[in-house]
Amino acid sequence: MTAISPETADAAAILDRVEASLKNDLVPVEIFNDEAVFRAEIEQIFTKCWVFVAHESEIPKPGDFVQRRIGLDPVIVTRDGKGGINVLSNYCRHRGTQVCQTDAGNSRFFKCPYHGWTYSNNGDLVGTPHMHDAYGERLDPKAWGLIRAPRVATRQGFVFASLDPDGPSLDEYLGGAGWMLDLIVGLAPGGMRVAGPPERYRLRADWKTAAENFAGDGYHVDTLHWSVEEVAVAQGMQATCEIARIYEFENGHAFAGHAWTKAIHPGYVLWGYAPEITQHFDLSGLDEAQLHVVNHEPPSVGTIFPNLSFIRLNTPSVPGGPMSVITSFRQWQPIGPGEIELWNWQFVWDFMSEDEARDSYVNGQFTFGSAGIFEQDDTVAWEGAPRAARSPWMRKAGMEFHLQQGNNSQVDQSHDPSWTGPGRKRNTGYGEHAQLHFYRHWLNVMRGNTGAGTEGAESA
Amino acid sequence: MTTTETPRIVPPVSANPELQALATQFLALEARLLDEGREEEWYGLLDDELLYTVPIRQAAEPRSQEIDRNAFRVRDTKAHVRTRLDRLNTDHAYSEIPPSRTLRIVGSVEVEEIDRPDVIKVSSALLVYRQRGIDPHFDLIPCRRYDQLRLTPSGPRLLSREIVLTETALATPNLGVFL
Repeated sequence: MTAISPETADAAAILDRVEASLKNDLVPVEIFNDEAVFRAEIEQIFTKCWVFVAHESEIPKPGDFVQRRIGLDPVIVTRDGKGGINVLSNYCRHRGTQVCQTDAGNSRFFKCPYHGWTYSNNGDLVGTPHMHDAYGERLDPKAWGLIRAPRVATRQGFVFASLDPDGPSLDEYLGGAGWMLDLIVGLAPGGMRVAGPPERYRLRADWKTAAENFAGDGYHVDTLHWSVEEVAVAQGMQATCEIARIYEFENGHAFAGHAWTKAIHPGYVLWGYAPEITQHFDLSGLDEAQLHVVNHEPPSVGTIFPNLSFIRLNTPSVPGGPMSVITSFRQWQPIGPGEIELWNWQFVWDFMSEDEARDSYVNGQFTFGSAGIFEQDDTVAWEGAPRAARSPWMRKAGMEFHLQQGNNSQVDQSHDPSWTGPGRKRNTGYGEHAQLHFYRHWLNVMRGNTGAGTEGAESA
Repeated sequence: MTTTETPRIVPPVSANPELQALATQFLALEARLLDEGREEEWYGLLDDELLYTVPIRQAAEPRSQEIDRNAFRVRDTKAHVRTRLDRLNTDHAYSEIPPSRTLRIVGSVEVEEIDRPDVIKVSSALLVYRQRGIDPHFDLIPCRRYDQLRLTPSGPRLLSREIVLTETALATPNLGVFL
């Protein structure tokens, strides 16, 4: 348990209502646009959970850096001269000025424009103008270095940082999501790399709406995205939930896969990747459950709590055009209550030729990107919740969102008893279980429960 | 042409004022057709070999590194544009139902002749005002465009367009409109 901050105290009444609502598979509207809830999310979630900041392929060489965010804080993610990865707060220790004003680059130093305090790319303070007259002696480089994220760790090249010095390790935190990440990007030596820098677009949407959608909302696909089926870029959308498999893991992570070998044909293994791609795959490191997943029920979407999501689908960009399996990771960056920046990275296999990588990149952007023919429609649908949340009428009326889909459905939504992988698996996309899983964990973390062992409390 | 080219001190004067007028009129027509929801007519102005790109821009130093031409928000051929139009015509492309009300202001048109007699380079500034659906607010999309127009007996056709967005992070939630 963690001490309750003033922001959390303001949000406490709302959290009580969330708890009561969630018992009935409902979610109160006000959490999607509320200053106190938002401040509490930054305090309780983004300063405590492991948060994705960069992929190692974005900073391959010494001196490379990218500027990222952990919650509201700007951080510089650097590759120092010794090859180490540093996650540094972008606030000068002297007066707080941002020492880095760019999104990416290569530099050994970050010099504050205000008084010239200069930091090495490992965060150490290495220079103060007029040192003798101003300070008499050298200031301690570590004590006055840029404040570092207390913990930084990687999995499959994905760099995460935690602003909490205590708590589970990254691998413990990811749990089954790490196991899933391994089978998504670790299928070939060298793994995957970013196809380019993230593209960014601002939505008047709440980060939770995006995160819950990518956790496993198959139900929206054949309505919101129906136009993509109509123009014959996608096929068979109406079976999205029916053939879906929901994977729920500890700490709020959830993925949704699809039983392609059953729905399409038995040879449609490995997401439908072409033989030119799969010839590079080495599945020898996978356990039995992972082998089953990649071949028969591979993940299509997923959310690693709090705000990193993933999508992989086999798609042409034009009807009848060449297919490619696209992989996008995206981060829902909280900007303010009911507002995010969507950061979208297309990923390609490290072994891919330039042409293969570009085809996958272009198909990825054409479907999931700021101009993506799927994504455009999500960006608009998600803008409703914050408006409802801000409405005095809706709040007074006690509006709650309906997540009771599974309550009277005849579809078997129980946990698959034969499942030997981590977490739980359900053999249908109906029931909104991934979303409930997300919100139940959200409540737990907002209440200060960040440790492991919350799975039981979050069970439906 | 790139944003990073050393600027000429003397503004280029098109050797052929007719070309300047032709290009300016073409961009104005395009903008009006799109503002009036006449996408199919606009589509008729696209060359079969069209390449329409929106590279990714990031804050970087030196400024010449801001635009990554190997990184795309959009990289469309004419077939991609056709698919986008077909999707808009399904009546289920919700991001554009109803279609955004737009006003495209085109300015700073510069024309340059190149070594291909049937192709000219045209650069322009574009500011798109966009109001979507029942939004109480509007979005602005500022950009510079670096085009190549092919001159055909039926008039100019858009052969290539590179759109350099002024923003690093889009303030509009999607690029559901053509720039």
